[in-house]
Amino acid sequence: MPREIHPGIHWIQEFGPDRPGIAKSLVDRGAHWYRPGREIHVPQNAFLFTGERTLLFDTLSPAATDRILADLERVLDGRALDYLALSHPDVPHAGNTFRILERHPGAKLVAPSFGRTHELYHLEDAHKVGPGDSLDLGGKRLHFHDAAFLDAAMSMWMTEETSGMLLPVDWMGLPLMDGEGLLFADEFRSPVDEDRYAEFHGRVMFWMRYVDVARTQKEIDLVLETYRPRMVASAHGPVIRADVPRYFEMMKEVVERVATGGRTGVL
Amino acid sequence: MSEDRGTVTALGADPEVALTRDVSWIAENYPLGGGRNVHVSVFLIRAEDQNILIDSGSFYHRESLVRRISRATAGEGIHSLVLSHSDYPHSGNIPAFRRRWGDFEIVASSGEPEIQGLPYARRSRIGGSLEVAGREIDFLDPPLADRSHTSWIYDRASRVLFVADGFGYHHADDEIGLTSRQLPNGFRSEEIYTFHRDTLIWLRYADPAVLMGVLREMFAERDVSWVAPIHGNPIAAEHLDDYLERLEEGVRRIVREQAI
Ligand SMILES: [Fe+2]
Ligand SMILES: [Fe+2]
Ligand SMILES: [Fe+2]
Ligand SMILES: [Fe+2]
Repeated sequence: MPREIHPGIHWIQEFGPDRPGIAKSLVDRGAHWYRPGREIHVPQNAFLFTGERTLLFDTLSPAATDRILADLERVLDGRALDYLALSHPDVPHAGNTFRILERHPGAKLVAPSFGRTHELYHLEDAHKVGPGDSLDLGGKRLHFHDAAFLDAAMSMWMTEETSGMLLPVDWMGLPLMDGEGLLFADEFRSPVDEDRYAEFHGRVMFWMRYVDVARTQKEIDLVLETYRPRMVASAHGPVIRADVPRYFEMMKEVVERVATGGRTGVL
Repeated sequence: MSEDRGTVTALGADPEVALTRDVSWIAENYPLGGGRNVHVSVFLIRAEDQNILIDSGSFYHRESLVRRISRATAGEGIHSLVLSHSDYPHSGNIPAFRRRWGDFEIVASSGEPEIQGLPYARRSRIGGSLEVAGREIDFLDPPLADRSHTSWIYDRASRVLFVADGFGYHHADDEIGLTSRQLPNGFRSEEIYTFHRDTLIWLRYADPAVLMGVLREMFAERDVSWVAPIHGNPIAAEHLDDYLERLEEGVRRIVREQAI
C-alpha cells in the first residue's frame, strides 16, 4: 500500500526478502540498534509524482513486478502515467521498465543523459535528461542533477521543487527490521543513526573504502548547500522529512567509518 | 582477416583470441564515436570436458556471440556461466543462451540474486572460492568496480584474472581485438584515463595512494598470467606494471581535474 509523503507524492516500496546473512553480521559485530531474531530487509523504493501530469521515478526490482503494477494502479486510479524516469539502468531500479510501459503505453521513458552507451541498455530512444534539465508536471516541478554518490555511471539524482525533496537514489539507504516499512525516519522506534547507515554504505558504496575522507565529506557539505533539501527520499532508506542536516552529518561519519573499517559486505 | 598468434584483427573476424592453452577472449566491440571504442567482451575457459563462460556480454552483440561461442566450442555451447556482476551489458544474454544451450549453471556474487533478476543463480561469496566445472575459482573483492555485488574472477589453473569494470580501455579503431602483446605501441595513458573517468565516477573521491596500494598488493599476493578485462584489451603479465603506472597517473589526474 503506497504512502503519500507529501501532497501528490507517493512512496511505493518493495520490502525485499529477509536477509539472514546481514542479520548474522549485525549480531557478530554487536550492532547496537539490531535486536537479534528480527528480520532484516533492504528495501527498494519508487516514487510517484502526481501533478496535472504524472511521473514514476524508478520501477522496483524484477521480484516485485506485481507490486509496482498494482500500487501504480491504486494511486493513478484510472489516470494515465505520463512519464517513467529511471535513476539508473540497474536491475533493481529499472527491471520492470518494459512491464510498466506495456501497461502504460503512453508513458514517456526518461533516462540519465550521462555517457555514450545508452544503446547497451535499450535507452537510445529515451528522453535523456541531466544537470540543468527540468520537467513541469503542473503543480510539481522536477529538476535533474548529476548523482554525487552512485554506483552506475549512467545515473541521475532528482529534486522536486514544491516539497523541497531530494531523491539521492543509492545514497542514504539503510537496512530495515520487520515492521519498519514505509516509515519516516522520525517514526522509527529503533535508532536511525550513522551505524545503521554505515552498514548499508559499507556494502553498496564499498568504494568509500578507497576515498580521501576529507574530500568526500566536503562533497557532502556541498550537496547540502546546493540543494538545501527539506525532505530526502532515498531508493533504499526511510524518507526524511525533518532535521535533514543532521542526517548529512551522519553521512559524513559514514564515509569515515567505511574508509577506516572497510566494507561491511555485499548487497 | 585473421593472422599470426591466432588473433582477431577485425570485428567478429575470428571466433576467439587465445590467451592461454585453454582460456580465450571473445572480443566484442562497441563504437563510442570519435574513433574511440569500448570492448564489451566475454571469455571462455575450456576446462577438461566443460566450457565455462565469463560474463554473457550485451544483447547488442547477441547474434555474434552465439555464433562465435558455438564455433569456439565446436557446437557444444556452455556448461557454466560465471558473472562479474549483473549490469545489463554483462548479464543481458543469459535467457537467450539458456534457451539455446539448456539450463547451464550460473554463478553470481550478488547478495540477493532475485533482486538482480537471477533467481536461479548459484551464489559465490566475494572473498571465497568455488569449484566450477572442475576448476578452482577465487572470487576477489574488486577495488575497481561500480556495483556492490561485483567480483573479480581468478581461475587458478590458468592464472587469468577476469575483471570488470576496471582495467578498461577506450581503444582506437585499429586496436579492436588486440591484446597487450599485439598493440603496436602499447597502451596510451589518455584512453586509460578517459575510460576510468567515465566509468567509475567515484574515482573523483579516491585517495590514489590507498587505491593503488590495494591493487598492487593484490598482484603481489597472486601470480597472474593475464588481466582479462571485460571492457579492455587483455594485459599480459609483462605489461601489467606499465598499465598500473598509467592507471595511477589517470586516477591522480581524475582527482586533480575534478576538484571539490
Ligand atoms: Fe544502483
Ligand atoms: Fe540501488
Ligand atoms: Fe558495471
Ligand atoms: Fe561494465
